[in-house]
Amino acid sequence: MIERKKECIAMLLAGGQGSRLYVLTEDTAKPAVPFGGKYRIIDFSLSNCVNSGIDTVGILTQYQPLELNDYIGNGQPWDLNRNFGGAHVLPPYTRAKHSDWYKGTASAIYQNITFVDRYNPKYVVLLSGDHIYKMDYHKMLEFHKEKGSECTIAVIDVSDAEATRMGIMSTDDNMAITDFEEKPKHPKSNHASMGVYVFTWEVLRQYLIADEEDPNSENDFGKNIIPAMLKDGRAMYAYPFQGYWKDVGTLDSLWQGNMDLLDPSDPLNIHDPNWKIYARNYASPSTRIDPAAKVSNSLISEGCIIRGKVEHSVIYTGCIVEEGAAVTGAVIMPNTIVRKGADVNYAIIGEQCVIEENAVIGEKPPAGGDPFSHNGIAVVGHKKTIAAGTVVKAKEII
Amino acid sequence: MNMTGIIFSEMYGEDLGVFTHDRNLAAIPFGGRYRLVDFVLSNMVNSGINNVGVLAKQHYHSLMDHLANNQEWDLNRKNGGLLLLPPFASEAVNHNNRGKLDELRNALNYLENANTPYVLLADAYVVYNMDYRPMLQAHIDSGADVTIAATRVEDNPGAFPSVFQAGRSGRITSYALNCTARTGDYAGMGALIISRQLLTSAIREYTARGIYHLERDFIQHQFNRGQLSLNLYEFKGVCLRIRDVNEYFQNSMAIINEEVGGPLFRGDRPIYTRVTDEVPTYYGPACSVSACVIADGCSIEGEADHCVFSRGVRVGKGAKLKNCIIMEGSVVGENVELENVIVDKWANITAGAELKGLTTNPVIIRKGATV
Repeated sequence: MIERKKECIAMLLAGGQGSRLYVLTEDTAKPAVPFGGKYRIIDFSLSNCVNSGIDTVGILTQYQPLELNDYIGNGQPWDLNRNFGGAHVLPPYTRAKHSDWYKGTASAIYQNITFVDRYNPKYVVLLSGDHIYKMDYHKMLEFHKEKGSECTIAVIDVSDAEATRMGIMSTDDNMAITDFEEKPKHPKSNHASMGVYVFTWEVLRQYLIADEEDPNSENDFGKNIIPAMLKDGRAMYAYPFQGYWKDVGTLDSLWQGNMDLLDPSDPLNIHDPNWKIYARNYASPSTRIDPAAKVSNSLISEGCIIRGKVEHSVIYTGCIVEEGAAVTGAVIMPNTIVRKGADVNYAIIGEQCVIEENAVIGEKPPAGGDPFSHNGIAVVGHKKTIAAGTVVKAKEII
Repeated sequence: MNMTGIIFSEMYGEDLGVFTHDRNLAAIPFGGRYRLVDFVLSNMVNSGINNVGVLAKQHYHSLMDHLANNQEWDLNRKNGGLLLLPPFASEAVNHNNRGKLDELRNALNYLENANTPYVLLADAYVVYNMDYRPMLQAHIDSGADVTIAATRVEDNPGAFPSVFQAGRSGRITSYALNCTARTGDYAGMGALIISRQLLTSAIREYTARGIYHLERDFIQHQFNRGQLSLNLYEFKGVCLRIRDVNEYFQNSMAIINEEVGGPLFRGDRPIYTRVTDEVPTYYGPACSVSACVIADGCSIEGEADHCVFSRGVRVGKGAKLKNCIIMEGSVVGENVELENVIVDKWANITAGAELKGLTTNPVIIRKGATV
């Protein structure tokens, strides 16, 4: 019997805590953090997969997986409910011997070799669910094939300053990778790894098995697998990506990523009908803007009721801004209520919060300046109630 | 749930003119992101009904497209679920709507195989948010043959397709069709409960004799002869009837108000609709939006006052819109001025155009038109 197989499947690492998002990832994994009005961070990678023609995605979860499991469900919102393939949530599991948590990113894939083998793929795309970008993985796969590569790493050019905080690839003229450094003090190149890899599965499989057997390994792609492959002189190439790519792993970058959506030049090209970002939709009515409302330069999702003032802000699904409340430069996550007279400036407010009357959150920038400059973001975690009249200062995290 | 739902998606004498040239009544966009059918269909789902047949006769492509993924109403069931019931090919030759009994004949097989004792028949032109379970209980408790949902007519008497008077117990004492109601009368909402047995035998008996009008020839006729007992179930919530362009316009404007929009879109009984994965709506730096209902995927740079925007509407800089309904994907160019205008889907109002209708007689721009 000839078995069915897939040419390429994707494995999406979604088990990270995202500790630099503090209160926003207390009860939920980073990829499940809401973004951009109606999305969650993981929607971007998942939609990229589907739009690139990859219909099989293993989603590796570990840290606080409940919300993410619920959200993924059978994968239908991303068109990933397939008879053969589709979305699969893969948590760590116990077995007859050597049961373990996912010790590192490599260990997570190692423990799911059986899953990958079921599809007998020639290539595996490895992704992390914490970046905002639009990318055609199919083009990268073509590049991988053309170069005869065994491991292709997507890179984006960054400034020298940024390079010191990222994984940096040095390449020759043919884009073959000659060196890889994690957070170098003196970067030799500006090609930063985007955390998007294409591997020839047969090769990766061997390295995963060898890595697991090495007691000194941290079982991490960046620290162990990639250096080991480089050392062995494997065919490794950097795939240059041009376009918008943002790591939203810190509170500041998460806020900035949201504000980027208000940029009239639309760097992410989020409105492109040919590369839609899919999300799980909830049945919420159209948004109602009342006569008393004043709205400008903002993104407002469905199911909201706006009676107050909203500017330079991203308001997520199902929020209510009552009369006399003012929201400026804020990211307000789903189903949060801002009561009468409350004043929210340069802040991220989590899901299902209640900002009671006349509470003041964050600080206004000096008048007349750039509306997006600020003295630091105030952050309120999910499901918090901020009592009437409370003052939450800039940079404060609640 | 021991009740099957049947939705009539056609007009039956109502006239929505140009909107129904290439779609049937149930598929008319309403309230920003919805189509008329979403309301009765969601009511059924929220009442635990998971067998729903949708009767369609003419130009139902739009409706099929809308309902194609019945997953969004949670009606992708192994047992039951949603079924679109177009005519059998041989029946399609006669293209007039002869009556609801004629259409129900197409659903005879469906109804005979449904394993529920009761059937709910509902028209798609009425917009409300209602739990049918208490109505079914009232039907069972009353022992009546048919229970009809209706609202009490208060200070705004007008003509209704069906007008009732009822005793204190709810038993209907008078039943008139297409007449003016007075204060204290009840107006039908196009929803009734009947036993499946009684309905299927009536369909067979009446259509065999060439009689097709459900209300007039069967219910009213048998009621007048004392052969059919009717009970009234009063609905006290928001009920919007959309029978002509004027009512469509007035009721679209009405949902902007909290008193109407609030109870219609309540959190515990959501109205479901097809998902199209649009981006959240962008409100430009110079926009001025007041008293509007706005779906996802719009981009608003101009002024809008008392407007309803479906998905993907674009309003250019300097445009001024008052009392307008703009349907999916339509583009309103820069410096356009519109008042009392309904723009159907995918139309293009080019820069600088000025159009003004009356509140009682809005200007209508056809689907895909360029002005």
